[in-house]
Amino acid sequence: MKIIAVTACPTGIAHTYMAAATLSSVGREMGHDVKVETQGAMGIENELRPAEISAADLVIFAADIAIENEARFNGKRVLHVPIREVLKDARKVLTRI
Amino acid sequence: MPEVMEDIKKSLLTGVSYFVPFIASGGVLLALATAFQPFMAAGADVSASPVLRLICDIGRASFSLMLPVLAGYIAYARAGRPALVAGMVGGQISGTVGAGFLGALVAGLLAGWIVDGLKRVPLPAAVRPVAAILIIPVVSTLIVGALMECVIGAPVATLLGLMGDGLANTSPSDAVILGTVLGAMIAFDMGGPINKTAFFLGSALLGQGNPHAMGAVAAAICVPPLGLGLATKLSRTTWSGKEREAGSAALAMGLIGITEGAIPFAAADPFRVVPTVCFGSAVAGAICMLTGVGDHAPHGGPIVLPVIDRPGMYLLAISTGAVLTALTINLLRRRPPPPSVSAP
Repeated sequence: MKIIAVTACPTGIAHTYMAAATLSSVGREMGHDVKVETQGAMGIENELRPAEISAADLVIFAADIAIENEARFNGKRVLHVPIREVLKDARKVLTRI
Repeated sequence: MPEVMEDIKKSLLTGVSYFVPFIASGGVLLALATAFQPFMAAGADVSASPVLRLICDIGRASFSLMLPVLAGYIAYARAGRPALVAGMVGGQISGTVGAGFLGALVAGLLAGWIVDGLKRVPLPAAVRPVAAILIIPVVSTLIVGALMECVIGAPVATLLGLMGDGLANTSPSDAVILGTVLGAMIAFDMGGPINKTAFFLGSALLGQGNPHAMGAVAAAICVPPLGLGLATKLSRTTWSGKEREAGSAALAMGLIGITEGAIPFAAADPFRVVPTVCFGSAVAGAICMLTGVGDHAPHGGPIVLPVIDRPGMYLLAISTGAVLTALTINLLRRRPPPPSVSAP
């Protein structure tokens, strides 16, 4: 499955990047194609391109704050999860899909 | 109802995420400028040095944007781009009427709700294009501005004044309680919402000119990773190879003030780790409040030492908290762990 995700936390220096790393590695282990955009204190990094967004089967927002440019994902299937759940058990989040 | 609370929390945290860099640049620049100047009764005297005065002015400019940015992005989180202006103007007015960060929180939430409501008003297709760029910004700003000026501003300012007086005149025992509570909150969920609540209180008070709560928060921030990292170094037999590795990473993260370094330990053994780090951070917070440590940057750990008031006491608080954390957790770990997480 092609999965894209956006991670964001209030301070944007630790949780954002830890969640991104976990989602990518666990997702890959489970056989998914994963790309994660981070919206941390440095702003948007590893930005999702329009082609990647339209090709994705599922969007995951792992965020405790508002996502920037959320309109990009209009019409997609979006799963909202608190970032804490990804850090606690990313496998569980990914099996929910 | 929980969904409403969830929504408010998300808006507030979004506002905080945009607001923190403004506190950082303002607080650090002002601290730098004043650190090199003789301190007068009316504050630091920078009149003798044009360079320091320039730095001071830049820091003040950054501080002056803090409330508009906080309120603006709280509103933005709720209702998107059209809400930014009403939120920012509300935050600005909150500053001028003396309602400070509390008023800015209220203004941001109000602006978000009002714009959200206005967006739902059915409009004829012909006027819809001007709604986003003209009608909604003008109407929402007018409403939020009027509410802040005439209705909400004054009572919130009074409340804030009471809070400020309370903090300025805390007896030593109250100060210790405040430091203990802030410290325990910081450690409790290591970067989660409770941690952020304490962190926001510290940085907001710093924006109001009181660096002491932030001092307690800053020391508490680095105690969990430093304490747990230290524990893995003190007793090698208690910890597995992987945990000792995580311990080294935690030490590094502790030094730069990232509480999250303690998460791997807390996730593996929450019932022993969380109370222990809360205890260590609470002690550090209490020592800071008692000894009048202040922090001028909205961040923690030894890395902010250059902008700390009373750095010796700050380091003492951190090391006491970290050592207590390390000794306690190693003592607790000596007993055999419950069967479900059996160690080798």
